Amino acid sequence: MTTYFLRRALGAVAVVLVLSAVVYVTFYVAPGDPARLACGPRCNPEQIRQVREQLALDDPLLVQYWHFLQGVFTGQDYSAGTAVLHCDAPCFGLSYQNNQQVTDMLVERLPATASLAVGAMVVWLAVGIGTGLLSALRRGGATERVLTWLTLAGTATPVFISGLVLLMVFCAYLEWLPFPSYVPLTEDPEQWAWNMLLPWVALGLLESAKYARLTRSSTLETLAEDHIRTFRAYGVPERSLVARHALRGALAPVIALTAADFGSIFGGAVLTEMMFGLPGIGQLLVRSTQTIDLPVVVAVVVITGAAVVIANIVADVLYAVADRRVALR
Amino acid sequence: MTDLLITQEPVAGDAPATGARQVWRRLTARKSAVAAAAVLGLLVLLALAAPLLAALEGQDPNTYHDTLVDSARGGVPLGDFGGISAEHWLGVEPGTGRDMFVRLLYGARVSLLVALGATVVQVLIGLAVGLTAALGNRFVDSALSHLTDVMVAMPLLVFAIALMAVVPADFPRPLLLVFAIGLLAWGPMARLVRGQTLSLKKLDYVSAARLTGGSSWRVARRELLPALAAPVITYAAILLPSNIVIEASMSFLGVGVKPPTPSWGQMLSTATTWFRADPTYVLLPALLLFVTTLAFTVLADGVRVALDPREASRLRVGRGGRESRKSRPGGTA
Amino acid sequence: MRHMSVISRRVAAAAVSVVLIGGAAACGPEGNDDAAGDGGAQGSAKKGGTLTVLNRQPQKQFDPARLYTSGGGNIPSLVYRTLTTRNREDGAEGTKVVPDLATDTGTPSDDAKSWTYKLKDGLKYEDGSPITSADVKYGVERSFAAELSGSAPYLRDWLIGGDTYQGPYKEKKGLDSIETPDARTIVFKLKKSEGDFPYFATSTQFAPVPKAKDTGVKYAEHPVSSGPYRVVKNANDGEQMVLERNTHWSEETDKERHAYPDRIEVKSGLSSAVINQRLSSGQGADAAAVTTDTNLGPAELAQVTGDKKLAGRVGTGHFGYTNYLAFNPKAKHFDDPKVREAISYAINRTSVVNAAGGSSLAEPATTFLPNQKSFGFTPYDHFPAGKTGNAAKAKELLKEAGHEDGLEITLTHSTAQDFETSPEIATAVQAALKEAGIKVKLEGLEINDYDEKTHSLDKQPDLFLAHWGADWPSGGPFLAPIFDGRQIVKEGAGNYNASRLDDSKVNDEIDEINKVTDHDAAAKRWGALDRKIGEQSLTVPLFHPVYKRLYGKSVKNVVISDWTGVLDVSQVAVK
Repeated sequence: MTTYFLRRALGAVAVVLVLSAVVYVTFYVAPGDPARLACGPRCNPEQIRQVREQLALDDPLLVQYWHFLQGVFTGQDYSAGTAVLHCDAPCFGLSYQNNQQVTDMLVERLPATASLAVGAMVVWLAVGIGTGLLSALRRGGATERVLTWLTLAGTATPVFISGLVLLMVFCAYLEWLPFPSYVPLTEDPEQWAWNMLLPWVALGLLESAKYARLTRSSTLETLAEDHIRTFRAYGVPERSLVARHALRGALAPVIALTAADFGSIFGGAVLTEMMFGLPGIGQLLVRSTQTIDLPVVVAVVVITGAAVVIANIVADVLYAVADRRVALR
Repeated sequence: MTDLLITQEPVAGDAPATGARQVWRRLTARKSAVAAAAVLGLLVLLALAAPLLAALEGQDPNTYHDTLVDSARGGVPLGDFGGISAEHWLGVEPGTGRDMFVRLLYGARVSLLVALGATVVQVLIGLAVGLTAALGNRFVDSALSHLTDVMVAMPLLVFAIALMAVVPADFPRPLLLVFAIGLLAWGPMARLVRGQTLSLKKLDYVSAARLTGGSSWRVARRELLPALAAPVITYAAILLPSNIVIEASMSFLGVGVKPPTPSWGQMLSTATTWFRADPTYVLLPALLLFVTTLAFTVLADGVRVALDPREASRLRVGRGGRESRKSRPGGTA
Repeated sequence: MRHMSVISRRVAAAAVSVVLIGGAAACGPEGNDDAAGDGGAQGSAKKGGTLTVLNRQPQKQFDPARLYTSGGGNIPSLVYRTLTTRNREDGAEGTKVVPDLATDTGTPSDDAKSWTYKLKDGLKYEDGSPITSADVKYGVERSFAAELSGSAPYLRDWLIGGDTYQGPYKEKKGLDSIETPDARTIVFKLKKSEGDFPYFATSTQFAPVPKAKDTGVKYAEHPVSSGPYRVVKNANDGEQMVLERNTHWSEETDKERHAYPDRIEVKSGLSSAVINQRLSSGQGADAAAVTTDTNLGPAELAQVTGDKKLAGRVGTGHFGYTNYLAFNPKAKHFDDPKVREAISYAINRTSVVNAAGGSSLAEPATTFLPNQKSFGFTPYDHFPAGKTGNAAKAKELLKEAGHEDGLEITLTHSTAQDFETSPEIATAVQAALKEAGIKVKLEGLEINDYDEKTHSLDKQPDLFLAHWGADWPSGGPFLAPIFDGRQIVKEGAGNYNASRLDDSKVNDEIDEINKVTDHDAAAKRWGALDRKIGEQSLTVPLFHPVYKRLYGKSVKNVVISDWTGVLDVSQVAVK
């Protein structure tokens, strides 16, 4: 078991390293001069040259990447103008745009994104698995139809539309909810939940159809397997058959998918964050992509990547626990 | 839709000719599947016939009609339901006054092409990587699984934005979108295939096939692909509409198809703010997207059932279970 | 000549909003219509309450050295006082410059090459310590540091020694061309005559920074306030800000800022649809909310105009800004004035305006200068295209130029969704030119790519959608960067003179007008110069944007000047 986790951890580090390298290369090749964007709207060539020097953008790609790695593992010193400051490891460097420590920027934004991801996951699992089980076990029911249509509509509607409709209906017309304005969990848990409700639903619905279908097909598949048939033949009650045995096998692929989705929401729920004004990582990512703020982009991709990879490891373990046919390897 | 079937070719090939015919018979026996196929067929036909229909209506997708919009009110179309009239069957676009009917038709071309193309790329890469990983030795599996992890971990939109900037401006945009979405978002599919294959490998009949000395490839082709078809098609049916949505999101962020080319995604993203002032403008592409999603889902269901011979018995199981719950414990399987 | 980076341009486009000018600004007096002025709520303005600001773009830069001119003239000006400032009045009155920290707008000498300011008595920072002229000098010097880049180029271009000075961190002894003979006096020595210096002195670079409190790049987190509010919180990269009263600020010394609310909360990172929806519903804290960077889009305008209650809460703003087609007159086809004129004739400004959001959000432009008196607006239409384009005349000219079989050209635009250089405008131009037999191929570039290419002499597209905004309401900063031959930047991506015009007559006239310190006299001459340059059809002016901005239902005392076009947060009351 220990070697398994050790191996996976090493793999995770490798994945994240590759990701960061890919980002470096991509943005190095992409058009646009970060120094010019960092310098400001009407800098003259001399100023841009100074900024480029200050940001060490003239160094070869490999040297820049090496400095990045050094920063992550040993920290780095930087000039604040008035003094030399130290940025502790793991240091992702300074934003080209406003010289803030990238690590601080990320830490500030992690709570909003994590709140969104966790809540949305609960929604999509509840709605998705519920709908999926319902449609596998009692096909043709009214509840099942409504849920199926709802999840389908959720998938077919981009979040920038469904989010807006939700806002219009629940905040503007019915006035049941306030317009979402992020309140940290640590400040006021109740307000946090109320304000996050719509973003959770919007993002959760978008993902839930996928889960409904996956649950449905894998439940049917499991129910058809020999051992279940055997149980049934022995007169095991259908309810416990489904709950104890079928669900277990059926949930394995759902868990795998959940992990992947959960991880990618860390960097990918850009539109939801924009729609509901959540100060999360996705917003940061898009904004820094536009301004070629490489240290920020790399840091976000690394964090997102790490989230996905870790989620995957967790998923594989759960998968093995849920479905004994699969061994960890 | 035909493309989707083609990707499943190995399945049909696996069974003898009667198998293919059986699949077809089972498929056509399902009314919902036939209806869905008809809807999709109609959509594809409409998309293909866009120039003809445009000529029939007497409009083209790019002509501006300044007199049909109320300039002082943000360019909202004059008249009811987004300016629906005998000349403009589905009204006109706010601001520009371009014909909605024709733009939706031309938009279907791009959207269906991008969604189908990207899905095909995702399925092909996903199958190749997933199967190779699951059937290969430990080293191959670990390498490919890590590659998959990297792909899954990539924030799609960001890399798409970067990719759009790197690729020369004159590269055809719809094709670029196919590759951008397809090449960046095959990770989940590969994971699914690998996971399912690992499960299947443990099943008796696959183990047996392996023991009796079938090569990996043979086992994959004869035993695994048919069994994989069901989950893969199910997932592909989910990927398809979500690819349209990705295309819409990319338009929303300014990296979609190039104007004046319309696409449903591009229309949806510009229509977002209009849903109160000109609901027709939003509802039309949204409805089309919804119908397409629904049709793909229903059809995929049908195809899955038709492809997977075990499915039929499973369905009976499900039904039997339901009945039994009503009457008394114990099954009729 | 405010020309902004990707992000800041959007801020300004939105920032820039609100003020009047009914209909065609060309004719009729420029008066306030009541759109701006008294807000949604009735009654006189009182102190107290919390004002919420809902914005799209975060206040990413907050260091006074890094803000461009006055940073959109909004939140920063609540914290930083400068030597001079904008007159906080509606409309055209708001284009005047008035004293702020200084007792007057500056005393010129030596042909406007030297400017002297005296600070008012009793000026204090948020900690109660006095503001001195040395602090103003230090504030200006900081903006030369590479770590704190971002300010407008004028300091470098105008101050003696400014072109080589590297800031106080590298060159401790400071800049000799800024003299502080005593704690209240400061003198700026310039290389050449600059009659507009009082306008420029409104920039945040002229805000005092106490040297002892300077923390370099970290200063923006806790700047020392000289204005009515101090920064209590500046989090998430400027997305969330909280300002509270600065008790050491005194209204006695500041006639411009009212500072009615006790507290100001800035929440950014929202989408414009959400901002406008929240403002129109006005639930809870949103009733006392405004936005300083988001205007009503076409769809929202269509909806608001149908609702009387909402329509009463919309401010209209103008800002000196022109969207135009830029030619490279040295390129194939466009080296022939007849081709450029043909394109000018063929433009259908009605469809261009509709693509930009309709006649309420854009006014057709035939002049390069914005249609405001302070710029010296002088109406002309050298190549009259009428309302919907004159395809016949265009064809005729093309024939004369030897293109009777039509012409194929490429128009470069950006893929940004800003209704300025965006695809909709490009396709409107494409559709209009098609009528005249010109086949237009569109080249849409990602915004960074677009910015870099259109501003690099060697990579510049031959024909592209361009735009230009005012750093302050005067013809100089509007015309010079675009048409002054000495401002052609050959290296890098900082060239704005896309037509590469280098005409000694134009250059000389620019120098002459810069010596004039009487704004009205100078404005007349800028207008005449614009008209003259217009004859060469180096650009095709398309439209001047108009900004419509919604504000919360309990917001009072809405003031929107033509200087910024922005709802002035220092004037707003919520009680």
